[in-house]
Parts: sequence; C-alpha cells; structure tokens
Amino acid sequence: MKITLTVNGERHRVDVEPRRTLSDALREDLGLTGTHVGCEHGVCGACTVLVDGLPARACLMFAVQADDAEVATVEGLAADDGTLHPLQEAFSRCHGLQCGACTPGMLMTAAHLLETDPDPGRERIRAEMAGNICRCTGYVGIVDAVEDAARRSRSEAAS
Amino acid sequence: MKCPPFSYHRATDVADAVAALEAADDEGKILAGGQSLVPVLALRLARPSVLVDVNRVPGLDCLERRDGVLHAGALVRHLALADQTHHPLAAEAARWIGHTAIRSRGTLGGSLAHADPSAELPAVLRACDGAVHVAGPTGSRRVGADDLFVGALQSAVGENEMITGVELPVPDAWGFAEFARRHGDFAVVAVAAARFGDRVRVAVGGVAGVPHLVDAGDLDHVGDEISDDHVALLAAAAADDVDPASDLHGSAGYRRALTEQMTLRALADLAGRPQPVREPA
Amino acid sequence: MTPDDQHAPASGTSVRRKEDARLLTGRGRFVSDLALPRMRHVAFVRSPVAHGRITGVDVAEALEVDGVSAVFTGEHPAIAPVALRAQSALPGYVETDQPPLARGKVRFAGEAVAAVVAADRYLAEDGAEAVVVDYDPLPATVCAWAEPEHPVHDEAPDNVLLSRTFRAGDADAALAEAHVVVDRELTTNRHSGNPIECRAGVARYEAADRKLTFWSGTQVPYIVRTQLAELLDLPEGNIRVIAPDVGGGFGVKAVLYSEDVALCLMAMAMPGVPLKWVEDRVEHLLAATHARDHRYVLRAGFAADGELLAVVADAWCNAGAYSVYPWTAGIEPLMAGGLLTGPYKLAHYTGTVRGVATNTSPSGPYRGVARPSTVFAMEALMDSGARALGMDPIALRRRNLILPADVPYRMPSRLVDDSGAYEACLDKAVATFDLDRWRAEQTRRRVEGGRPLGIGVGVYNELTGLGRAASAGPRMAFRTGHDACTVRINPDGAVTVFSGVTSQGQGLETTMAQVVADALGVDYDDVEVRYGDTDESLWGFGAFSSRQAVISGGAAHLAGEHVRGQVLALAAALKEAPVEELDLRGGQIHMAGQEKPIISLAEVARVAYLQSDRLPDGFEPGLEGTRFYDPIRGAFAAGAQIAALEVDPATGEIGILDWVCVEDAGRIVHPVIVDGQIAGSIAQGIGGAMYEHLVYDDAGNLSTGTLLDYLMPTAGEIPELRIGHVSTPAANPTGVRGVGEGGTLAPNAVVAGAVADALGVEVDDLPVTPARVWELVQR
Repeated sequence: MKITLTVNGERHRVDVEPRRTLSDALREDLGLTGTHVGCEHGVCGACTVLVDGLPARACLMFAVQADDAEVATVEGLAADDGTLHPLQEAFSRCHGLQCGACTPGMLMTAAHLLETDPDPGRERIRAEMAGNICRCTGYVGIVDAVEDAARRSRSEAAS
Repeated sequence: MKCPPFSYHRATDVADAVAALEAADDEGKILAGGQSLVPVLALRLARPSVLVDVNRVPGLDCLERRDGVLHAGALVRHLALADQTHHPLAAEAARWIGHTAIRSRGTLGGSLAHADPSAELPAVLRACDGAVHVAGPTGSRRVGADDLFVGALQSAVGENEMITGVELPVPDAWGFAEFARRHGDFAVVAVAAARFGDRVRVAVGGVAGVPHLVDAGDLDHVGDEISDDHVALLAAAAADDVDPASDLHGSAGYRRALTEQMTLRALADLAGRPQPVREPA
Repeated sequence: MTPDDQHAPASGTSVRRKEDARLLTGRGRFVSDLALPRMRHVAFVRSPVAHGRITGVDVAEALEVDGVSAVFTGEHPAIAPVALRAQSALPGYVETDQPPLARGKVRFAGEAVAAVVAADRYLAEDGAEAVVVDYDPLPATVCAWAEPEHPVHDEAPDNVLLSRTFRAGDADAALAEAHVVVDRELTTNRHSGNPIECRAGVARYEAADRKLTFWSGTQVPYIVRTQLAELLDLPEGNIRVIAPDVGGGFGVKAVLYSEDVALCLMAMAMPGVPLKWVEDRVEHLLAATHARDHRYVLRAGFAADGELLAVVADAWCNAGAYSVYPWTAGIEPLMAGGLLTGPYKLAHYTGTVRGVATNTSPSGPYRGVARPSTVFAMEALMDSGARALGMDPIALRRRNLILPADVPYRMPSRLVDDSGAYEACLDKAVATFDLDRWRAEQTRRRVEGGRPLGIGVGVYNELTGLGRAASAGPRMAFRTGHDACTVRINPDGAVTVFSGVTSQGQGLETTMAQVVADALGVDYDDVEVRYGDTDESLWGFGAFSSRQAVISGGAAHLAGEHVRGQVLALAAALKEAPVEELDLRGGQIHMAGQEKPIISLAEVARVAYLQSDRLPDGFEPGLEGTRFYDPIRGAFAAGAQIAALEVDPATGEIGILDWVCVEDAGRIVHPVIVDGQIAGSIAQGIGGAMYEHLVYDDAGNLSTGTLLDYLMPTAGEIPELRIGHVSTPAANPTGVRGVGEGGTLAPNAVVAGAVADALGVEVDDLPVTPARVWELVQR
C-alpha cells in the first residue's frame, strides 16, 4: 500500500505491507534507526514517537495508519545546524543516558511533557516518564535531566 | 514478533466499516487505538484476514452530556476522556490507564469491546449501569453494561458489529480505587463506585472474567451521608461477594482482601472523605 | 586562568561523554540498525515443550512461503557436526553438549529447533510458523532441588552438573561451641538482565578468502572470536567480531549463544549473504540467559559477644538446560560458595554448592552473579543472629566486618580481600541515612499508629577487576586477567586509542579517553577511542566482573605513559634538551619551570611520520605503543546500603521512604558515570527484590513471557537514591575499583530485611511482592 509519511517535516512516499509497524517503516524503509524497538508489544516505550504532536508507541501503530500524519522522531529534535535540543543537552549534562537504547523514547516522551507542562515537578516527571523503561540509569539522571531542561527552558523564555 | 499478514480497509463511515466486516466472513477485526489488538497480533495469537481501521470515521469522537448522561463516541481517546469534566468518574478511571502514549491512542469503544476484566473502563461502565451502541448489518442496537461482558476478553459485540457510542449516566457521587503492581499497569483489583440517588453500585475489576457488580443488599438506601461503619460493612460485603482465582500476582485470598481495601477506599472517596490513595501515573 | 588550570587532569571530572552526541541524536550504531547489501533475516523456530524427543521436522511448507530462501535444522549438514561444550577441569564437573539447533531432543521451552532465512523478518516469521515439528514429550524438571523424573542430560542422571564444597576450619565443632545458632532456609527468584536492546547479530561469510565478519551485540568480542574459531574451524585471524554500540548488557550478552553459532554456521552455508537476527522480547525472555534461581539452607553460630563463629551453607543453583557457554554451569554456584561469607571475618565455613540442570532456560552471568542471593543469605543470618542475641543488627555487623587492619584478608574460600573499607562505608551510610531519626520514626509509628516502618541494611564486597590469580571462571580453557591498549599519535598530533574494552552503556569510550589524556598529557578532546572491533584493537576479555575500568584502564594508562616517553624522547632529541626536564601537558612540551612550550606534540608527530629527514639518529618513525595490564589478583570494592521502607498491611504495598548507598570505588575517573553505574545497579537490584520474576509452571512453560507479566521497575517505582563515596585507591595504575555491579548486591537483603523489621517476621522468599507481604501479615 502506498502511503505518505511526513517525518520531522520531510515527506516520504513509501510502499508498505499493511502489517508493517510504524517503527519498522521508520527504521527499515526510511533508514531512521534512531527510533528503537525494545519489546514490540507496547510496554517498554523505546519506540515512542510523536504522531500529530502526541506521543505514541510506534510498535503499536501500523505505518498505513500514519498516512498523511506528522511524525516526529528523535532525529528531528536537534536544530538543522546541529544545535542540540535543551533536553538532549540536559540528558548529556545529567547523565540521563547510558547505553542509549531507551533514550530516543525517553526524549520524545519528555519533549511532549515539557510542551504541555513547562514546570513539572519531580513527581510529575516520574509519573509521566513511567511509561518508558530504562535498564541502565536507575532513572535518577533522567528525572534530573527533564527537570533541568524544564528549568533552563523556563529561564530562557523569561529572559 | 511481527504480525501475520492481513489486508487493510480504511473505513469511511460506520456503514462502510460494518460492510467490510461482513465481507470478511467473521475474520475481520476493528482497528481503533490498537493498544490491545496490536500486541495480540504481534504475538500471533489472532489472525484476522482484514483489519477495518475506523480511526478516520467522522463523528465518533463526540463527548457531550445530555440529561445526566455522558454520550461519548467510540473513538474518544483515553486522554480526552481523562480531560473531560462531564463525568468525573470516567475521567478519573481514564487517568489510571497505562501511560500518556497509550492514552493518546487507546479508545473508549476499544477498551469496552476488548473486555479485559482488569481494565478500568469496563468497571466504570458497570458501576454506572451504562450502555453501548452497536452497529451491525441489521442496524443499530443498544447493549446494557450487564449484558455486554460475557467472559474474559469476550463481549456481546458480534463479529460483524462495532461499538459506535457509549452512554454513561453521571452519578451523584462516585469513587475509584485501584491497586496495580506498577504505575500504569493493569489493575490487580480496581473498584468503581457510583451513587445514583440513594443506591450505590460497586463494580470490581480483576476478580472474575468480567467486571463484577457487587450484589449486597446494603448498597440500597445509602443516601448523601454514609458512615464509616456503613462503608466498612459494604467493603466487607463486597469482599464476600467476589470469588477470585489465584494467579501470578496473588492468591484468591489476596484479591479478596484487595477487593475489601479498594472498595473501602472507593466508598470513602464517594463519601467525600480523603483517603491515602495512590495517585495514578 | 593560568596554564596549569587549562591542563587540569581529565580524570576526576565529569567531562562530556564522547558517546552522547550520537546516542542523543538517533545516530547510534547498534547491530539492530545495520543494513547491508543482499542481507536476509532470520527467525528461529522455538520449542513449545520443555522436554521432549524430536520425532520429526518438516520444512517443506516453510520453504513454500513467499520470501523464504532457506530453512536450517539441527540435522542440516552445516549445523550437525558442531556443539557448544562449556569446558572446565574442575573435579566432578559433568561436561555436556549444546547443539546450535536442537538435535534429537529439546531441553527447554524456547530452545531453537530450526531457523528460517527470508527477505525480511516478517516473512521469516511466516516461514517459522510453517515449520512443523513433532515432539514426543518427556517429564520436565523445573525446580533445581526436586527429584528429577527424567534427566536433562544422560551424562548427569541426577541433573547435578557440578558440586563443590568450600571448607575452612571446622564448622561443626565451632557450631557446637556457639552461644546461639540460627537457621534459615531461603529461596531467590529467577530473573534476568533484559537490556532494552535484545540480542542481535549479523554474520557475513566470504568464501573466496574464508573470512567471517560477525557484528554482535556482545560484551566479549574477543572471547567470541576465539570460541568461533574453534567451533567453525577457521583461523582466528579470519574472523572479525564487531560489537558497535550495544544497548545494554548486564552479563546477558557475555555469553556465546547457540543462536550466535547457528547464525554464523548458516552464513558459512550461504556465502556472500549477510544474515541478520534481531531477537525479539519474547525470545529474550524465553531463551536469553536467566539467573538467581537459588535455594540456600543455612546455619550460623555466634558467640555471646556477637562474633560470627561458623557458617554452614547448602546451596542449589538452577543452571537451566545447558551449561552456559563458555562459562559453564559453575558460574553461579562457584561464585555463591566463594563469596557467600562476604565482608565478614570467619574462620569456620563449610559451603556446599551445586549447579543443577533443569528444563528451563540456561542460567548465565547476570550483574552481580550470585551475590545478590548470597548477600541476602548472609544478611539474613546477621539479622537472625541479632534477634537471637538481642543485639542491634548494625552493631552485630560491625562486630564482624573485615577491617583495614585485617587487610589483606584471606576469606574462607581463600580469596584475598584487599579492601577493608566496609565499616567506613557502613558508617557513612548510617550517618547519611540518619539512622537515629528513622529509628525514632519507627518507634513513633509503633506507639501512635501508622504504616509499619522497617529498616534494612546490606553490606557487601564486590570482587572487581579479577586478575589471573583470581580469574573469572575457574579451571576453564582460558584465564581472564589482562587487557591490552594501543595508543597512537596521529601525524597531526591528535590521539587515537585502540582499546580492548567493549561498552554497553558504561561510558568506557569516555573513561579510556580520560585515562589516556592524563597519562599522555593531552586534552580529552584530542583523544579518540576505537573499541569493540577485534580487527582494530589487540585484545580485551570484555565486560564482566566489573573489570574494564580496572584492567583496560590500567592498560590505557600504561600505554599512554609509554607513548608519552616516546614523545618526550623525540622532543628532547629534536630540541637538544635533557629528556628528564621535559613535560607533556595539553599537547605541548615544556621545559621544567618554563611557561612557554618548546615544541608542540603536533610538530613532534609531524617529524615522526612525515619528516624523516628531521628524525634524529636511532629513532624509528611513528609514535605508537601497546601495553597489557593484569592486576594479578583483583580489587575488592566495599559497599553498604541502608533503606527505610513502609508497609501497608492491608494491601502489602511497600513504599520506599529513603535509600542510601555508600561505595568505595577507589579513585574515581568520571564521577557522574560512577554514580550512574551505582544508581542503575541499585535499580536492577530493586527490580529483582520486588518486581522481576521469571516463573515456570510445572510443565516447564514460562508463565511470564511478555513485559506485561515480567515487571521491570520504572521511574514510578525507583525512589530517589542517595549515593555517597569513601575512596581508598586500589593498587593498580589508576587506583580505581570496579563499580558496575555493587549496587545490585544489597537490595534483596535491604528490602527483605526492612520488611522483616517492619512486620516482625522473617522474609525467606523473593521477590518481596505485595501479595507475599500480605501473606506474611496474615500469618
């Protein structure tokens, strides 16, 4: 089936089997391997992307369902000139990643959180990030990073 | 974990969806949020020949309150249900479902059709004595909450039918309590309590194949004021009334004890008394 | 800023990790991401029965499936001659074979029986579904301490693959003299590492020159190369193993798996066609190694003053269906028996341990190997001893800890402890935690009501950086002790390091760059590290036993110093200056006492490579050196954790109120990475203590086959962690102690101890779930 996927603002025409998941289409057909696949049954959150602005498990959506939708992935977070997104900076600064396998899903989840709530407390961050499993960090660095990115973004917005 | 092959039909309206199901000869499946269906397919536990995608069917995402009843389209996402203010019990229960990335896709109709006995919304439907509207080849019918759930993961919605809308009477007072292993997990036990006039309905998820409606005489004639003793009595009656099985997450006795505790908390909630209830994710 | 400030050492500071830029922008290079021309995909057909004879495999229908190009079974001529046989010369060890694909018999549910090669993974799974396998079921044994009805391997009729007794002093006589004797019977729960990236491999064989390239998400590429050479009958130099970015390991990937070998054999049968296998989560839960399925029967005797006099331990470790390759079924029991007594002085010890085969997924190395269980066992004895003696449990521990004055201390298992920092860790943990405040709160709740509160403590030693004298995997065909590192100055003066490390998130690219930058005298940013490719770097045993910072770090330091010597010698000759007065820092060569450099490293490098006309007599071109390092023994790392938990008796729910960990990581190279290792390992420990449990039913079916049932903790469950340090530098070139595993060792003991303390019960079985706590309350 021929569909149009708009990923990080770029339109792609692809021909996929209906059963192909959005995560596989991103990774295999578009070569956007930044979106990781950790469980393929919607629990681990590694494949989280934004579909029309809302976080979604890319392993629980078929690519055909994203026809004409706007998909945002980790590859689109940094600016075109390579400047990192505040969350990417904060994850590095606060050691919010180790192996990097859960990181893309964490970043997309956090990006949506900060878009909807620029000042989440640690409890809200923990609750919102609880849909993404990390096996490396013990979450300390991740919660620190989201909190730090939120604080810096707020102070930038204020200045 | 790749789904078996199927063909895909993007339905334009309800009639088109039903026609596609009919054409599939009992091997079609409605694809709404996909949050329960896709894992089942990925595990190859089901092999529908066609998936009928209803996500673009217009008009199924309405949310309005008329005559004390929330009328919600089948495609209302859990996020929207959690955000609406017409039916606070449904909103509270929706907040306990999974995580944002699940709630952004999962739908009210899908959850009810999937009929997971540990899920939140089926318990709410029973507690509120709601109903679903089901469209099929011969037209539309209304199925009440007490008839909808047939068994674990089995509903009265036929192979060629789809849920199009949900009626949820808005209770005069309500309470909800859930015990899950982790943030966002399916409930080990969830209790939804709703008072309409002087009658309280208590539905318990996680203790049987279907959400269990507590049958205890003391639930009638409750009224605005409800004493601690009465709450405790009702909670104990609820625990007596359920007959759970043992599984990985606990023995029958444990689930019975959780039923009492969660009923206690839901009813205290309903009575307007704060309880140390764990917040949902 | 003075020049000295500009060239402050990289070590000891949390420099930006070199890995981060690519991992944060979706540009990581994981095996799962690899796409090669002509590549095809593999799906394994896995046994649905736990134990049975294979009576027939019909692949005809599978070969008809669209896109399927080949199907392999255990009897295929490319597969049949090969078996994985984990070898050890330990007396009484029963060697057994593991076929790459099951032959004749299956021994656990999930064992690979056939493999389908197809154009993509979807089609490969379609093909796998069409393979028809007939089984004649045999009775399954799931429990390692139950009588087997039918042995897993004919060679071991009682299923015991290995049994060993550790003996020191005379435990029975000492028990007879004891003031109190306590008994405990404990079981610990089977769980596993579950990295977010499952196992993955791409194998490509070029027949013309008999070269095999194996991209593998492995923690041990050099061991994999050696073992593959042996199994595939290829010269070792013809095999290249590449472990690029790897999405977590935790020991699960420190194994050469039957699927890896099958993939390479299949690639050799299909020359020129790269074969890719990316394990899915259901396969991972079924067939990647499990761990910690143990039972302990324990007796300990204490003197009236609290002195620990004797311990007698009987332990059963469930080894699963196969002796894990190449580590053997000894990996858990030998660690359990050798380290059980932990940081406590003890003269009289008898510890009998067994590795028992069952019809379950093989057990293998998992972060902390056996010690999360043995620390639980030892601390349970301490808690029981304290109750029997009427002593404060922390005072009883203090009474028995190995102290600095005791070091080097020969443990009952004859391992030599060089740490002695246990009391320092415990003291600091207790102070940070504010034990008095929590004890007061506990008392207040007991008097005034409120959820019962308990305090749990775990003190442990982490045996890290094992050298040849204490090698991991005793009496195997290889002895793990050393790693190599090559430091090369490029013609432009920048530095490329070829390290034997592999990294699955530990940040070793960064750590090695820091160590070399300081040893050499250049900026961190001027050092690039290559690793995880057997064709690039000389040698490294890989990531296990918290060894790489110690051993590869030592090699990096020595190689850096060596090349620094080369640079200074050449600079001295070029500038006609006395070499002993020269110093290299920040990439500039200085005369002692002079602020202005006499020559830059870049210029020296230019001479070394591009201007041989300027090379002084006696100097070879190039600036490069390789050094090995072996610490011979190892570096024990001390740690202590203490936590306050509350229990809701009505639901069994446990709330973690405070959790403190203090470890001795020796000298710290990268503080944030070190704390990240500790936090991550505590989280895995809490997962094992409270949530994660791989459960088999009696027939040998895995009941927890998806992440809906195998519960890993999230940010919603793991509490804020307070991490502190004491720092006693180890006797190795960088002074570091390994830090990757310590955090996992205590949570079993801490959670079980705290719940026991809160409720006044004994917690004997893990995990401590709400249901289990509720059952304890009902007693």
